Amino acid sequence: MDKVAWTRRMLFGSQEKNGWIMNLVLYALLLNIAYLYLNPLFYMVSTMFKNQVDLLDPSVRWIPRSLEWNNLKLAWEGLNYVQGLVNSLTISGLGAIFHVMACALAGYAFAKFNFPGKSILFGLLILSFLIPPQTIVIPMFLLIKELGWMGTKFAIIGPAMFGHGIRGSLFVIIFTQFFRTLPKELDESARIEGAGSLRILLNIVIPLAKPAILVVFLFSFIWHWNETYMTALVVGPENTPLTLSLNNLQAVLKGFYESEVDNMFNETIRMSASFLIIMPPLILYAIAQRWFVEGVERTGLIE
Amino acid sequence: MQPSKRRITIEAREALSAYALLAPWLVGLGLFVLYPLIYSFYMSFQNVRVTGDGLVMKPIGFLNYKNAFLQDGDFPLLLVQYMQETILTIPVIVLFSLLVGIMLNMRLPGKGIFRAIFFLPVIFATGQVLNEIFNQGAAGLSLLEQYNIQPYIESNFPKMFSDPLLAVLNKFVIVLWYSGVQIIIIVAGLQTIGRPVYEAAGIDGASRWETFWKITLPALTPFILLNTIYTIVEMFTFPFSPILGLITNHMKYTGYGYASALGWVYFSIAFVLILLVVWFFKRIDGQSDKRR
Repeated sequence: MDKVAWTRRMLFGSQEKNGWIMNLVLYALLLNIAYLYLNPLFYMVSTMFKNQVDLLDPSVRWIPRSLEWNNLKLAWEGLNYVQGLVNSLTISGLGAIFHVMACALAGYAFAKFNFPGKSILFGLLILSFLIPPQTIVIPMFLLIKELGWMGTKFAIIGPAMFGHGIRGSLFVIIFTQFFRTLPKELDESARIEGAGSLRILLNIVIPLAKPAILVVFLFSFIWHWNETYMTALVVGPENTPLTLSLNNLQAVLKGFYESEVDNMFNETIRMSASFLIIMPPLILYAIAQRWFVEGVERTGLIE
Repeated sequence: MQPSKRRITIEAREALSAYALLAPWLVGLGLFVLYPLIYSFYMSFQNVRVTGDGLVMKPIGFLNYKNAFLQDGDFPLLLVQYMQETILTIPVIVLFSLLVGIMLNMRLPGKGIFRAIFFLPVIFATGQVLNEIFNQGAAGLSLLEQYNIQPYIESNFPKMFSDPLLAVLNKFVIVLWYSGVQIIIIVAGLQTIGRPVYEAAGIDGASRWETFWKITLPALTPFILLNTIYTIVEMFTFPFSPILGLITNHMKYTGYGYASALGWVYFSIAFVLILLVVWFFKRIDGQSDKRR
């Protein structure tokens, strides 16, 4: 092989392999973006351990001279962490489980059955994905009151039980697309052997749908966890999840200290509180991450 | 006669099973989508007062809509401003997620770690916490300050170009954080193109550049459309959108009727935008079909 072509292959790569320059550029780009994503995380962790002196000292940028655990303690108390955590976990956990169940049923029906009115209903499914929540917030507010869900956790997870609520339509779409990729022969052969629709779903389809279930569960959990708009309107004080407590933190902390707690000092506490709030979904993501990435690849999300 | 009768019963049974599976979702559709949608549409033409006996409505025609544009001092301004930002941001998000998605799909040692990091925004992006971090300024593009890019751009470009450019650059961090799901969609989309297609192209002597334009991009077009729609929906339901706050305020102080009208104006704009995007992609698709 002549030398020029060989060098070119090494540097720029071929159809099969990346060249050196290609790899370098790729790594540089990816590392830079990764840094941007991780930067706020680092900032959060570093700030939450700073004491007032470190915070004001410009020579202390990332690593505080001493670890100030008091911030975490104050944030813990200010957030009413245990109560908030229980609320958040119940809302997100139940919401995600309900979403998986209700949306999988609907998605299966859309993917594998023919029935009159299917295209109209599918159109309505897309429509309900597009409606901004603020357009229908008032009737929802009144409806939740009417149903007696006002102030309770049901105000949020109630709609999820029916496959609606926070981005429920998106999950139905994801399931529909996933079930469409399963071969038709699969349920046909089971049907010939006399299995009913429900049995086929439970024994054959659901075990195959694990990647889609995981993706929907994770998304639903995290979006429930982070939801603040509807939650602020319809969930009562004793059911307040952690994310909303962040707003009250300032007021609570003012109650702790009569003297004006200046904003600089607050910053460390607010960062501690932020850390405490995103900790649980982060742990969940760390555990499920491997399957999640695989799941995304296999769901084929949408045709 | 016998077989055709049997076929009908099978079809009927299939429809019945389908509706049985759909039953919970259908109930929800009526309760949580159609009813609120129709009700809020109805309310947007009413003057709604909250009294001890419940809601008192008085039909006022298009007055709410008229007021929104002619009387309200904030709404049209905020709307235009937010629309400008949104229209600027959408292509940036779509392009960025396309690039990152393609990069993450290349064969590269350590790809798994990058993927794990790049899906992180999905966890934060919708939350109060990110807002908090933004407020602290930690999410700013430090590169801009570090290398004095802002004054450089301001002094070297005419104002006409520098302003939108800086706006996009300042937005870039937000763009980064709001493209998590879109990156996932692109990565998932790339899996639908089989390796054999690329191998065949390689044997035929196509360069990478050519395969990208002739194979990868056309195969990704539906996913790019999906991303665009998803981004529009996300931008319009963005929890910190100023218009959202405005609607909530009007709900509390001005009345449900007026707030509903604002909500419908907002929804209609989003809907028209989505229709435009779908139409645009259809056109592109049609053209590339003709060329083939």
